Amino acid sequence: MSSHSIFVFFVLLVINIHAFVASDGLNVTALDSSGKLTQVSVLVNSPSVFKPIVDSVYPLSLLSSFPEDVEISEYCSDLLLVLGQRYVAYMSCLIPAARPVKVCQKCYSGYSSLVQIYQNISSDQMGPGNVSCRDSLLHSDRLMLVYLLYSNVENIWDNSNCAQCLSKDFQSQTNDTLFFLNVLNQTLSCFEKYKQRNLTELCKNCKKSYKDLNDLYSLKELNHTLCIDLEDAMNMTRRLWSKNFNCFLPREETVPVIAVFSFMLFLPIVFYLSSFLHSEQKKRKLIHPNRAKSYTGLMNIQDKQS
Amino acid sequence: VFHLGRCWSVDPLLSSSYLLQDSRGRPKEIPHNEKLLSLKYESLDYDNIENQLFLEEERRMSFGGFRCLEISRWVVCGLIGFLTGLVACCIDIVVEEMAGLKYKVIKENIVKSTEAGGLSISLILWAVLNCAFVMVGAIMVACFEPIAGGSGIPQIKCYLNGVKIPRVVRLKTLVVKVLGVMCSVVGGLAVGKEGPMIHSGAVIAAGVSQGRSTSLKRDFKMFEYFRRDTEKRDFVSAGAAAGVSAAFGAPVGGVLFSLEEGASFWNQMLTWRIFFASMISTFTLNFFLSIYHHKPGDLSNPGLINFGRFESEIMSYNLYEIPLFIAMGALGGFLGALFNVLNYWLTIFRIRYVHRPFLQVIEAMLVAAVTVAVSFTMIYFSTDCQPLGPEHSEEYPLQLFCADGEYNSMAKIFFNTPERSVRSLFHSQPGTYNPLTLGLFTLTYFLLACWTYGLSVSAGVFIPSLLIGAAWGRLCGIFSFSAAQLGGIVRMTLSLTVIMVEATGNVTYGLPIMLVLMTAKIVGDYFQEGLYDIHIKLQSVPFLHWEAPGTSHWLTAREVMSSPVTCLNRIEKVGTIVDILSDTSTNHNGFPVVVKVSHNNEPAKLCGLILRSQLIVLLKHKVFVELARSRLNQRKLQLKDFRDAYPRFPPIQSIHVSQDERECMMDLTEFMNPTPYTVPLDTSLPRVFKLFRALGLRHLVVADDENRVVGLVTRKDLARYHLGKHGLEELHLAQT
Repeated sequence: MSSHSIFVFFVLLVINIHAFVASDGLNVTALDSSGKLTQVSVLVNSPSVFKPIVDSVYPLSLLSSFPEDVEISEYCSDLLLVLGQRYVAYMSCLIPAARPVKVCQKCYSGYSSLVQIYQNISSDQMGPGNVSCRDSLLHSDRLMLVYLLYSNVENIWDNSNCAQCLSKDFQSQTNDTLFFLNVLNQTLSCFEKYKQRNLTELCKNCKKSYKDLNDLYSLKELNHTLCIDLEDAMNMTRRLWSKNFNCFLPREETVPVIAVFSFMLFLPIVFYLSSFLHSEQKKRKLIHPNRAKSYTGLMNIQDKQS
Repeated sequence: VFHLGRCWSVDPLLSSSYLLQDSRGRPKEIPHNEKLLSLKYESLDYDNIENQLFLEEERRMSFGGFRCLEISRWVVCGLIGFLTGLVACCIDIVVEEMAGLKYKVIKENIVKSTEAGGLSISLILWAVLNCAFVMVGAIMVACFEPIAGGSGIPQIKCYLNGVKIPRVVRLKTLVVKVLGVMCSVVGGLAVGKEGPMIHSGAVIAAGVSQGRSTSLKRDFKMFEYFRRDTEKRDFVSAGAAAGVSAAFGAPVGGVLFSLEEGASFWNQMLTWRIFFASMISTFTLNFFLSIYHHKPGDLSNPGLINFGRFESEIMSYNLYEIPLFIAMGALGGFLGALFNVLNYWLTIFRIRYVHRPFLQVIEAMLVAAVTVAVSFTMIYFSTDCQPLGPEHSEEYPLQLFCADGEYNSMAKIFFNTPERSVRSLFHSQPGTYNPLTLGLFTLTYFLLACWTYGLSVSAGVFIPSLLIGAAWGRLCGIFSFSAAQLGGIVRMTLSLTVIMVEATGNVTYGLPIMLVLMTAKIVGDYFQEGLYDIHIKLQSVPFLHWEAPGTSHWLTAREVMSSPVTCLNRIEKVGTIVDILSDTSTNHNGFPVVVKVSHNNEPAKLCGLILRSQLIVLLKHKVFVELARSRLNQRKLQLKDFRDAYPRFPPIQSIHVSQDERECMMDLTEFMNPTPYTVPLDTSLPRVFKLFRALGLRHLVVADDENRVVGLVTRKDLARYHLGKHGLEELHLAQT
């Protein structure tokens, strides 16, 4: 299962990078955090328009044009182009935000624009010249690449639960989320403050803010207002707290627990012993069944067998 | 001139059974053991009494009437299924809610005291809560209806076998059973709620099919035709099937369960009806649970125990794994036998020493307390911490001393209802539990489950055994071990295979499950009988197995029968009848009716058989020859009068017969069964046995070559022979 998903992810990655590489003329403002990829894009110098590439790079491919009525319209290919741009923008935002997970905070705008263009494509609405791009772009071949790519994005979005942290129209983060991030930052800065000093001191001093954070988190967990960003941040904080700073609760009640345990274990022994000694044993009165005179019971069986 | 009819002119004292006495003249007493047959149990009357009343009624009934009867059978089966499903649904919801509430309270307390101290108080709180629930359940069972204790499967097995267990299908039993099982599951005992469902289904069936409740004194004047043992048994088997089907979501398994446990009477039409009841039951449960889970109309929630869906990867197996399954079955059979041996000794001890109700209640509470103490201590000292999986079924995970975000693994299985634990063990990712946790859990749970079964609480053994098996299986990474463990304990074969296949929803796993159960049964039977059979034996029930003991062909009816027998004349004096019925030493319920051929002292010839219950009805209605002559317009007795008295015929003491009436005569010709089954004196035991088992007889008259009554074979005469360690052994009759 897992190897399969890794494979899919890898394919996706390759597709994305390829698309990215093949279109360096596009807007790359989304790529603020990773300089390396930008460099790659600069290095490869391929023509900037989509359609002619096919001819120039792969000279032995199909004829470039089909008759008018089979080929997709200008309008649709424009839509496709925009979709490609936004897709690339979204992907190049997602990947750097993979660890530590910030996919919701950073990339929600990319997602919403992608959704918008996809809705345009998939809607029944006719564009100029009375053409609908839905069938021609989405379902006209076996691969259904556009649909496949988009459903991957949908899948990522659903699994990340980002919608829980964002306002209804995906335009901004909710106040709730911002408040939580704020509390989280306070805790982290407290960690930062005491990290260099004694760890026991950290455990003591940051306990309040950590506890507040924890409570807030459990509250959000109940309300189902968590997205992957918050979950991951909380997980990391918890790991810091428990594993790195060793702020464990002490196991100091061993004696009373064992005492109660042995007391309870002792009770049945007393019970069974006393009922064995004091209770009257249940006896059964035997009854002699009436049998034909010469055949009475087991004695005969043995006689007869021997 | 009428004679007092005795077949043999023997002294009355000797003719009846009497208490065995020791050398000092006191009744001989022995401690309770498994080699006894209790006098308390009687047979059911499965043999149709074709007397004149019956023939008359049949003549009067039109063709349409018969069709109507057939339709009402279907209606009754549908009702049985529906009500059984409803009861199962109630149990499920109440247990879920109450257990949820309990665990929530305890969890809050534990979380609080993990930080602030006072965990021992949490332990006590948990123990007190559990003990309180168990106490309620145990008081209900021990003080009000002891027959509702345990899983109820042995009792239903006996009923379908033809043994009338007193009060087993009463409304009161049902109420105690249902409330009791709720209490014991919520009380955190190592029990399941599946076994009791079968008993509940059976009681519902017995109640619905009669169209009245004797306990509530309500008669709906419906289904009057079904008021006799034969019809009732058919419905009870449908009820048992519906119970299985509701418990496991296994309609076919339910039908096969009824078939396996009561196979002596079976026909295809009945099978089809039972299957109908089963289906209705499981889908009623589905429907109501879907409403409870806020998905109305979604019918994919079958069964009380829901194993969930298995991914095909876990369930796939290969040819080379077959020997492994067989080995596993053997191990499961061995462990099951160990379970049964331990439980056997414990049950004997309980019957002998813990027989007072208040002691039984205390014992149940102690078991509850120890269960809590052991669970808590193991949770407390467990250092196995794991994060929750993506689809965890634990509603109340305990963190205790684990790192934040991780939870105590031991608590996942102990701090949960057993059913959820099973699901968790089946479905959680590999590596969720470490081997030490699982090993300790399995061992303690094995002992706890063994200790718990047989307490006077209403509780089943299916889920605990599945849980033990699932934990073992988890330890070695194999699923089907739970089937092996369960099979090793209960020793069911066909029906259990189908139930497991249906409950897991995976037909491809049929072969391994079958192999596992087969080996488990073979290996287990080598050491000890199945748990249900042990309990049937310890209850001293005259249970007829599938076949007579193997080496018993040399025994003939001559040795087996009771003799001499009390007989009645066809026209008998009322006083004599009353005396015979009142005589406590005459423990037969059927009396051969004889007719004198001559006035000599020659023994009389057999002409029919009449039951004690019929005689009582006749006495109650004063059907005397003299009265009939004086009051010509007196209403003739009909079959309906016998049905109205069924099933609780009044005791003879409550029927008043005046001194004058004692001198009257009673003509039994119309009422007796004129064609009772008879066998010659030299019929071998297996032959008698086969006749008895296949026809569901209650009395089999032994006649000599001139059709004179020599003896009478009843169920107890046959059930007392069994194959022990030293060949054929004979069980003693005893008063219990």
